[in-house]
Amino acid sequence: MTTNFYLSLIPEALIASMLTPEEFGLYYAIGNAKRSRGQAVFFSIDTDRLPEGAFDLSTVAERCVPHGDGAPKRSVYIAIYRVLERIPREAITALHLATDDGRVLTLEPTEYAPGATGWSHLYQEFCPVSPRVVSTLDPAGFTRFITDQEQPVHVPRIVFAELTLGALAQNPAAGAADDLPYPNVGHLRDCLIELADGGGKPTKTVLRQMTQEVLFRTVSGGFYVGDSTGITTFALPTLDALEREHYAWWRSAQSTFGQ
Amino acid sequence: MPVWFWLVPIASVMALGAAYYFFSVMMKESEGTETMARIALHVRNGALAYLKQQYKIVGIVLGSLTVLFCFLAYGLHVQNPWVPFAFLTGGLFSGLAGFIGMRTATYASARTANAARESLNKGLGVAFRSGAVMGLTVVGLGLLDISIWFFVLTQFYDIDEAQHVVVITTTMLTFGMGAAVQSLFARVGGGIFTKAADVGADLVGKIEAGIPEDDPRNPATIADNVGDNVGDVAGMGADLYESYVGVILASAALGAAAYYSSGTDVQILAVIAPMVIGAIGALLSIVGVFFVRTKEGATQKDLLGSLGRGVNGAAVLIAVLSLGVLWLMDMPNMWGLWLALMIGLLTGIAIGQAAEYFTSESYKPTKTIAAASKTGPATVIIAGVGSGMLSVAVPVIAVVLGTTLAYYFGSGFVYSTDTMNLGLYGIGMAAVGMLSTLGITLATDAYGPIADNAGGNAEMAGLPPEVRQRTDALDSLGNTTAATGKGFAIGSAALTGMALLASYIEEVKIGISHVLERGSDFVFPDGTTLAAGAIDELQSLDLMQMMTYFEVVLINPKVIVSMFTGAMLAFAFSGITMNAVGRAAGQMVDEVRRQFREIPGIMSGETDPDYARCVHISTKAAQREMMMPAILALAAPVIVGLIFGVPGVLGLLIGAMVAGFSLSMFQANAGGAWDNAKKYIEQGNHGGKGSEAHKAAVIGDTVGDPFKDTSGPGLNILVKLMSMESIVIAGVTVAVHLV
Repeated sequence: MTTNFYLSLIPEALIASMLTPEEFGLYYAIGNAKRSRGQAVFFSIDTDRLPEGAFDLSTVAERCVPHGDGAPKRSVYIAIYRVLERIPREAITALHLATDDGRVLTLEPTEYAPGATGWSHLYQEFCPVSPRVVSTLDPAGFTRFITDQEQPVHVPRIVFAELTLGALAQNPAAGAADDLPYPNVGHLRDCLIELADGGGKPTKTVLRQMTQEVLFRTVSGGFYVGDSTGITTFALPTLDALEREHYAWWRSAQSTFGQ
Repeated sequence: MPVWFWLVPIASVMALGAAYYFFSVMMKESEGTETMARIALHVRNGALAYLKQQYKIVGIVLGSLTVLFCFLAYGLHVQNPWVPFAFLTGGLFSGLAGFIGMRTATYASARTANAARESLNKGLGVAFRSGAVMGLTVVGLGLLDISIWFFVLTQFYDIDEAQHVVVITTTMLTFGMGAAVQSLFARVGGGIFTKAADVGADLVGKIEAGIPEDDPRNPATIADNVGDNVGDVAGMGADLYESYVGVILASAALGAAAYYSSGTDVQILAVIAPMVIGAIGALLSIVGVFFVRTKEGATQKDLLGSLGRGVNGAAVLIAVLSLGVLWLMDMPNMWGLWLALMIGLLTGIAIGQAAEYFTSESYKPTKTIAAASKTGPATVIIAGVGSGMLSVAVPVIAVVLGTTLAYYFGSGFVYSTDTMNLGLYGIGMAAVGMLSTLGITLATDAYGPIADNAGGNAEMAGLPPEVRQRTDALDSLGNTTAATGKGFAIGSAALTGMALLASYIEEVKIGISHVLERGSDFVFPDGTTLAAGAIDELQSLDLMQMMTYFEVVLINPKVIVSMFTGAMLAFAFSGITMNAVGRAAGQMVDEVRRQFREIPGIMSGETDPDYARCVHISTKAAQREMMMPAILALAAPVIVGLIFGVPGVLGLLIGAMVAGFSLSMFQANAGGAWDNAKKYIEQGNHGGKGSEAHKAAVIGDTVGDPFKDTSGPGLNILVKLMSMESIVIAGVTVAVHLV
């Protein structure tokens, strides 16, 4: 059995496991039996690309061994604090999205390609902190802004996703927001109006931290991992591809009650 | 025997033949992949296991009551000697109608899903014609039962000619009680089964475990699909069989009373006219089935239009042909009776349209409930209750207008004691008009659960998205047609209820005649006395005189307290059935949790859940919980009759009918609206699936589930069963009562 390394974002941790990503996602979402439930967002990590001494992996071979009955070891925690900042983007080989009933979708990394986006964006940050913010910056600009060490507030590396704003993206004052599934949409509208009014502020916090699971169906474009050296995109498949090729995951992602 | 009568058995055989033909054609279709066939087999076996249990209990109840009626008829001589056997056949035929419908539905779901792989039209064809099997089986068996008993009683029942037709028709009414007992168990038991499974599957599978609808990893998902068949198909089939025969028989009995003084020839024509109209409606239903087809890529409106072509085509044809038939039969007051029939049809359509308006997500009431979900579950409940209560107004007004007009058309626009029976016959004919095309309206109703199960099968078998879109379209259409079908069922129950009140008085007369024939005088509560043997004097009493002599006036405390009791019964019955669903769902929740906890590999799909255990739990719960409502329904008329006599029974029936009709309408529409408000949100409105609004709407839907599928439909049967039972035991009520 091979040992895989996963960077979990909820909570932030580096984990060694003898499970495949699909098995690990299922285990991480629901536990041994169906006694817990919670979506999981985690990366596959190539430890050969980690900087020397970033983590103490010396005990992994001893700790991550099959159980007495031959069952694979599910998880061995290697690190749980400031993990992301110690893993370079090149070491991240795939993103796995597990729904809260354990269906896993794997996304491959791609080069960031700027799209024809509007003036406003809604970002859900996952790691190292998890606020939800609105911004006038596109994903690449937002990454540069938040990882700029010249700024008084910055992080070394960030994982975030862009969420859909619907009609609010173009018209925060009067755009229809009734069908957006976010809590306190009125406050979201106020934040966008404030952003639109200018004043030089490129971002505005909507929620200080993630209080609910992310509804994957609201992800617009994909997930991003960025730092001061650049940005990696993990794009969601098209709706047609989700319907045809990843139906079990897509159906589960749509059915979640977003705890 | 008038030649027109023979149309009834002929139509019966043709309807049953067409049902067999549609069944055979459906069975030739493929069940699709191995997985699809395996899922269908699970559902079929579960449904069969449930029905076996249900029939065991109903068998014991029917057997016990038959023995009791034999004792009353042959031991105490207070009842007609044919009653026990008529009662038994009613129960058997009603059960058979439900059984055939359910077997067909469980064979049809995978075949519908497989046909949808080819095209939407093919899927619609298989689902609808399978639904038609039940529609045509119900009317075919109903007409067959009526034909057999009418023939047997007219040929072999040796009684005084003057009373002959009246006694025969009131005797036949008693097989309606057998059907009512069967349908009460089918509706209540099936309703408890289906909602226990549905609520259990939703609460643990969807909300706790986050598993999508119809996911094979959910242990309760097969029980949920089984529930659709035992509740919505077998239960509905037995229910509408009872409504159908009840309507025809009550009208026949009213016809016999209305034309009592017009001579036997006219009287017999009035008796068979409702049967003949039913027979023509059955034949036209067969024709209507062939009108239903659609094109590929059809919209929801196209699909609704294609079903409408079948139903409306049959309705237009019955409007034309019934006029011709009444003319050819040389019926007195032909135009009046025809207009009464048309009023019944229109009343049914109005009730159906009102149900659609108050429950469809295309209209304001349901959209308002969906919007209320933005502010939480409490406002969803308030909005649903408010909308459901308001929704009662239209059907009640429709029934009031329909009844009034039918009465006046039947009586020739004369309101007097002399024409009262004619007016009541008009009301009976209106009810016949409403259910005349039951063969096809029931097909649209039974089609719903078949399409629903086909959707579940497509989901569980992982069929491609275009197939699931087609089965979703078929399923969504079924929700709309179900609301309309329920409107017809409830509306016909109201009209039949009024007709049965008049029939009750006729049966009371027969009960009194037994007393007079035994050589005793009969003293009415107001002191009026009929001397022993004064049968002619008894038969000459009109309805108003009977009311006067029995002191059936609103100021009589016996009437008022019994009315209160009747109204209370409607609420108590609802409460008992709602609590039954709650308890059964609780057991299902525990079981699903246990399976997730104790059976490894369910969530990864490596191990199948124990589906049979969930089916067993729902079956046992339904079996246990159906007893109390049944005892309530069966005991109330006996107890009230034994204490307060005829005025008490009439008060009880009126109280139960008025409260039951309104409460049933409220529950059906509120439940339907909550369900569709949730579906409206799931389409992406107000945040869509997983949003706070969705959570609130799911709570509303869960509350509404037992409303619309257990208590609401059960109330109709409660009212009809109590009426039928009162008729059957009228002889006992007349002979024995305390005050």
